[in-house]
Amino acid sequence: MSVVNNNPERRRFLSGAFMTLGLTLGLGAMGTRFMQFLMPDVTAKKSSEILLGKADELSGDGAKFFDIAGKKVALMQSGEGFTAYSRICTNLGCLVSWDNANDQFHCPCHNGIFDRNGKNISGPPPRPLDQYEVVKRGKSVYIKLDVA
Amino acid sequence: METTETKATENKTFWQKTYDMAQEEIPDHLNRFSYCLGATPLILFVILAVTGILLTFYYIPFPGQAYNSIKTITEETYLGWFIRGVHQVTVNLMVLALLLHIIRVFITRAYRDGGGLKWLLGAGLFFTVLAFGFTGYSLVYDNVSYWGMTVVTDMIRQIPVVGEPIFLLLRGGEDITELTLLRLYDLHTKLLPLLIVLLIGAHIIAIRTLGFAKITKHQGTHPFFPGHGLKMLAMTVMLLIVIVNLAAIFPPTMGEPANPLVVASDVSPPWYFSAIYRWIIIAPREAGLFSVFAFFTLFTIYPYIDRGFSDRGANMLRVNLAIGLIVAIFFATMTIWEALV
Repeated sequence: MSVVNNNPERRRFLSGAFMTLGLTLGLGAMGTRFMQFLMPDVTAKKSSEILLGKADELSGDGAKFFDIAGKKVALMQSGEGFTAYSRICTNLGCLVSWDNANDQFHCPCHNGIFDRNGKNISGPPPRPLDQYEVVKRGKSVYIKLDVA
Repeated sequence: METTETKATENKTFWQKTYDMAQEEIPDHLNRFSYCLGATPLILFVILAVTGILLTFYYIPFPGQAYNSIKTITEETYLGWFIRGVHQVTVNLMVLALLLHIIRVFITRAYRDGGGLKWLLGAGLFFTVLAFGFTGYSLVYDNVSYWGMTVVTDMIRQIPVVGEPIFLLLRGGEDITELTLLRLYDLHTKLLPLLIVLLIGAHIIAIRTLGFAKITKHQGTHPFFPGHGLKMLAMTVMLLIVIVNLAAIFPPTMGEPANPLVVASDVSPPWYFSAIYRWIIIAPREAGLFSVFAFFTLFTIYPYIDRGFSDRGANMLRVNLAIGLIVAIFFATMTIWEALV
């Protein structure tokens, strides 16, 4: 079979292009694997119920704070039941504290304010505080958390 | 004739060749202070590298011990306060020198005539230095730096598409753990130094191959050595005097240890982030965050925007002066506001 195109320029370009492509794919694959190695696993958590305490001990004015398995929780009494909020401010991740005088949550970092129902009412926060499910069995109050 | 000359070059020893290189002609305008601000960060980088390496011999990158190890460096280790003080003062001067350098390049449009690559590499260097600032600040692990780290990583999370993966990579999970500190430490002492050395090399090579910016008023040249080399030496001595004095006048301090359960009462960042910090407080959330991302993007590609407009006949020298003034006044206002609140 005769050579169809004997242009050395073309040959040089093609071999260069293939080498670049191969190098890109090879290094890209390696880079991807390295990134996968570094990427933390944030899935596969199981939900579990954790005892907070007796209902009559937990009731009262204002929010009560808990640190359970690294989760920062604010527990509020609402009528007969309880509501649990994540203390992590929905703006940029600081912790809200309870302002008893104004009956609201306050985040000191960028002055975000949430009302007692966790609703964002002032400042930069884009959405209400996250909530955790609270379960009441008899007098015991449990919270449902995703624990690694 | 030509062949003998070539032969003469080939026969030169390594030292002769080096000397020739050092004798290279550089434009006279580099004698002026505002035009040699690029060398200042290089000198500061060497000081940072030396003191930084010394600090790694005492620092323990683990949440339970990080704060105490820095306390030991600052209060007990012989000359520890001085090494840490010099490191801290030099970072501040580094950011200041880079800002002045950027302002000078921007106002004089020194990125013209194919200098876009120099600007891109320089912008990369600036961002790397800011990343150094942020990671180094976090390593102190006092309460202010802990919550600063929380907020900054969460800000990165808001970047569209790439934000979430970068956020997880930085924190090593969704929460701040011992992995977060270890990753920031690795970045600060290994990956970022590697990156900055590559970028400094590329920036200098780009300047040597693309040439210095041309100034119409000053056409003459002079050899790099001895004139300019000695000038850099004089700069080094001057900078060392300033740094040592500042380190003695403002010795390094520490706040309360990091407390994941109590937000620091004052989470304001170092002065070079103050303007952005104040801006995201007063601006509506989305507008605030995205204007910050947009600003840095426009800043990075500015030479190409400039070319687009000047090709259409705009007087970019005036435009740049106006933009420079507006941005400078805006940043100064935000910074002073933040300092007063």
